[in-house]
Amino acid sequence: MDGYFYAVLIVGLLSTIICVVAGVMKKAPNDVTILSVAAVELVLLVYLVGSIIRVALGEKIAGEPWEFWGYIITALILPVGAVYWSILERTRWSNFVMGAVGITAMVMAARMNQIWY
Amino acid sequence: MTVETTPKKTRDTRNTGPGRLLIAVYAVFAISATARAGYQILTKFADAPLAHVLSAFAAVVYIVATISLAKPGRTWFKVSLVAVLVELVGVLVVGAVSLFDPVAFPHDTVWSYFGSGYGFVPLILPVLGLLWLYRRRPSGSA
Repeated sequence: MDGYFYAVLIVGLLSTIICVVAGVMKKAPNDVTILSVAAVELVLLVYLVGSIIRVALGEKIAGEPWEFWGYIITALILPVGAVYWSILERTRWSNFVMGAVGITAMVMAARMNQIWY
Repeated sequence: MTVETTPKKTRDTRNTGPGRLLIAVYAVFAISATARAGYQILTKFADAPLAHVLSAFAAVVYIVATISLAKPGRTWFKVSLVAVLVELVGVLVVGAVSLFDPVAFPHDTVWSYFGSGYGFVPLILPVLGLLWLYRRRPSGSA
């Protein structure tokens, strides 16, 4: 597991906790929960750019490269989709939807690490 | 059930409140199961045709469940019900078979070992789905 994984792990976990707590407290999505999901997206973007640079510098992905890129692209779409989906209906349930992003991103980052190494 | 405050007009929908979370999780599973099945079939179909056909079948079930849960109306309710029931039977049967006869399932599917590879979410999801469908069942005789 590399630094990217741990970054996604920490930010994803925080985002999930923030969103789930907000949901339990019956709050509608607000700046804090939406920004926490945006932070997950940002970390994944850094992961993407970092990975492109590593491959450009000649590093080899041990597993199937297109599987890795498929995972990271899908992971990048999820936060955007969840925020869009939650803005359409601003109830506390939308916070749970956004809470699912962080934990999903963590699982996907773990898989991405397995593919890379 | 009678304390439902939602107006009758919007009663026949399942894409609101907790249903949104349910649909979101179904969507994630639809994407991951489709990707996984596609990957397995394209790269190593010959190794275990049955397991990979099952993966593809599971992917279709998740896609149908996601779409039908998001759509309003009684027809889509029935489609959801069938999809979620098929999912429940699928995860129970495949889970049991994978446990008792691992040789028949040398390759994991989403439903192998009751979805333990996915934090047992595949096992919990259809139960929550049925509960939600029951709560939002169309009024009158279906």
